[in-house]
Amino acid sequence: MRRRNFLAGAVALGNAPALAQATRQAGAGARHPSLPAKFTPCAYATTKTGYSPFTIPDYYTFANDLSVERNASGKPHTGKVLAAVQAHSDDIPLFAGGTVSKLIDEGYTGYLIRISNDEASGLTLGHGVAQNEVDNQNAAKQLGCKKAFSFYYRNHRMDDGAIIELRARLIFLFRALQVNTVIAMDPYNHYDENPDHIVAGKAVEAASWMAAGRDYPEHFKAGLRPASIREKYYFARSPQGHNLVNRIVDVSSYIDNKVRVNVANQGKGPAGSAGRRLRGYLQSQGKKLPLLGDDDETTDFQYVKRFLMEDFHLLGQQFGIEYAEAFRYIGPEPAYVERIQQAAVEQAVAL
Amino acid sequence: MQELTIERDQPAQPHAGKTFVAVHAHLADLPRLAGGLCAKLMAEGYAGYLVRTTNDETSGGQSSAQNILSNETEHANMAKALGFKDVFEFYYLSHRMNEISPVELRGRLVLLFRMLRADTVLSFSPSAEGESDSDHWITGRAVEEACWTAGLANDFHEHLEAGIEPHAVRERYHFHARPGQPFNRVVDIGSYVGKKIDAMVECRSQGSGNAGSLLRAQLAAQGKRLPLLGDDDRTADRAYARQFLLEEFRAYANGHDFEYAERFQYVGPPADENRAVQDYVAKNARPFEAPKAP
Repeated sequence: MRRRNFLAGAVALGNAPALAQATRQAGAGARHPSLPAKFTPCAYATTKTGYSPFTIPDYYTFANDLSVERNASGKPHTGKVLAAVQAHSDDIPLFAGGTVSKLIDEGYTGYLIRISNDEASGLTLGHGVAQNEVDNQNAAKQLGCKKAFSFYYRNHRMDDGAIIELRARLIFLFRALQVNTVIAMDPYNHYDENPDHIVAGKAVEAASWMAAGRDYPEHFKAGLRPASIREKYYFARSPQGHNLVNRIVDVSSYIDNKVRVNVANQGKGPAGSAGRRLRGYLQSQGKKLPLLGDDDETTDFQYVKRFLMEDFHLLGQQFGIEYAEAFRYIGPEPAYVERIQQAAVEQAVAL
Repeated sequence: MQELTIERDQPAQPHAGKTFVAVHAHLADLPRLAGGLCAKLMAEGYAGYLVRTTNDETSGGQSSAQNILSNETEHANMAKALGFKDVFEFYYLSHRMNEISPVELRGRLVLLFRMLRADTVLSFSPSAEGESDSDHWITGRAVEEACWTAGLANDFHEHLEAGIEPHAVRERYHFHARPGQPFNRVVDIGSYVGKKIDAMVECRSQGSGNAGSLLRAQLAAQGKRLPLLGDDDRTADRAYARQFLLEEFRAYANGHDFEYAERFQYVGPPADENRAVQDYVAKNARPFEAPKAP
């Protein structure tokens, strides 16, 4: 509920933010005068609107081989499977909803896996759990996922359980679904306040490589096969978290779908039906905001796009694109043995 | 005082089509405590599967690594001797099962019970009075929990994704592993004591399966022999097992009309909770009469 009320609180105080007004002065690339010249910055403060804490992190650390992933024509990922794993119903929608939409549109079969029961958001615990369960299904549908799973561990208490048990369940699912790619919270996300994020990230990271190995041999007798997960997209939470970023994904073509995914999250996160609540508040003051439109659906959409997606727009502008999401991307490992053989053949001399 | 049942040999194969899973912690547990029952159940039609939860690294008198290897090899041989269809090894550290996640262990057992469609399970008593080996009661506790949660659709629901459906275990045999532990079923294993010995003598790293040949060699070094032990190692091991390792099973049978017995706390299929309702409905239901128009 604290998340749900953040903007309403600002509005009630007569402090409604103005569009496109960057509240953080230290934009990417700017150098703070307090930093002595002999020091080279190793993290970059992001430019943010201040409309929502749950957009992009306060800082990014960029790798020198950063690449921009753009739209791929055709369906290059046909036959591949991705698992988008989130601790809470709003994690993937907020931080990676555009990328998941893009990858599925480019051929991936997608699955959404939620680890917690999201009980910490709701009028009562029971209402919160029930609403977020529905939201998770609807968000998955809007993302284009084939199916959504929920593990229902207690919200904000995931460090109470045995991570090996969670990891075992993920290994089972990755094998059953034959996952090739995972999208998840960065297991090395710095300064993340939420224990569920760290647990989820760590479990996904370990399960991703163990799914390819011989752990849990009983799975194979149950008819499962090892899963070779060759690609990982790790995102950071905001505002405090930050991670190493080596991939910027151009989600401009998918930003409207990302907006709809977030609108589907009625029980949690800053989106849902916050638009119509703002419109109602303004009406009670005898005012209206033209960009919100006149019907609930339009209002919710416009609210999310104009307020909550704006930081992703500002991030994209740094790279010459309209909307972006940032990741630590880990791609397929080289074919080590083949490379040795190739090098050996190239350097071999006659006997 | 519990009512005691004697389970005797059954003609033909009344259990054909049924499956049991025996879950023990260490190599020598099952052959000693339930080797006869396992042989009997399989002879009467059951398909049997064996699960060992530890790696037995603490037994064998060698390095931990060599112990793990020797126990693994002997476990496969022991299972083969009894006729198990397949063997599953979990390899948790021996004598350290207290430190593992009980839910993870339970989850693995749930998967096995579901995928094997286990009707019956054999394992340690979950309450395990007088049990000094924590691996025993942790295994028994996890088995007990897994037996019923395997039947619940919402537990580990991801199994459905692999086509593995909920399946509750209906019968349980808890080992009588220590003096003082309860038992309500005595199984006449007279017809299967040979199989039990076959299994016991495969357990050389623990369980004294090679004690006969070792004793024979020891005596030979002293210029002596024990006629009981015969003239070769295999005969010596089997004779030693029958004479000394089966003593408690023979002793309990003494005074009964059978020669060897294994004891268990048996828990049968749950009572049909709807039976009372069904009986009441059957007795009291009346033909429906539509209300007359005013």
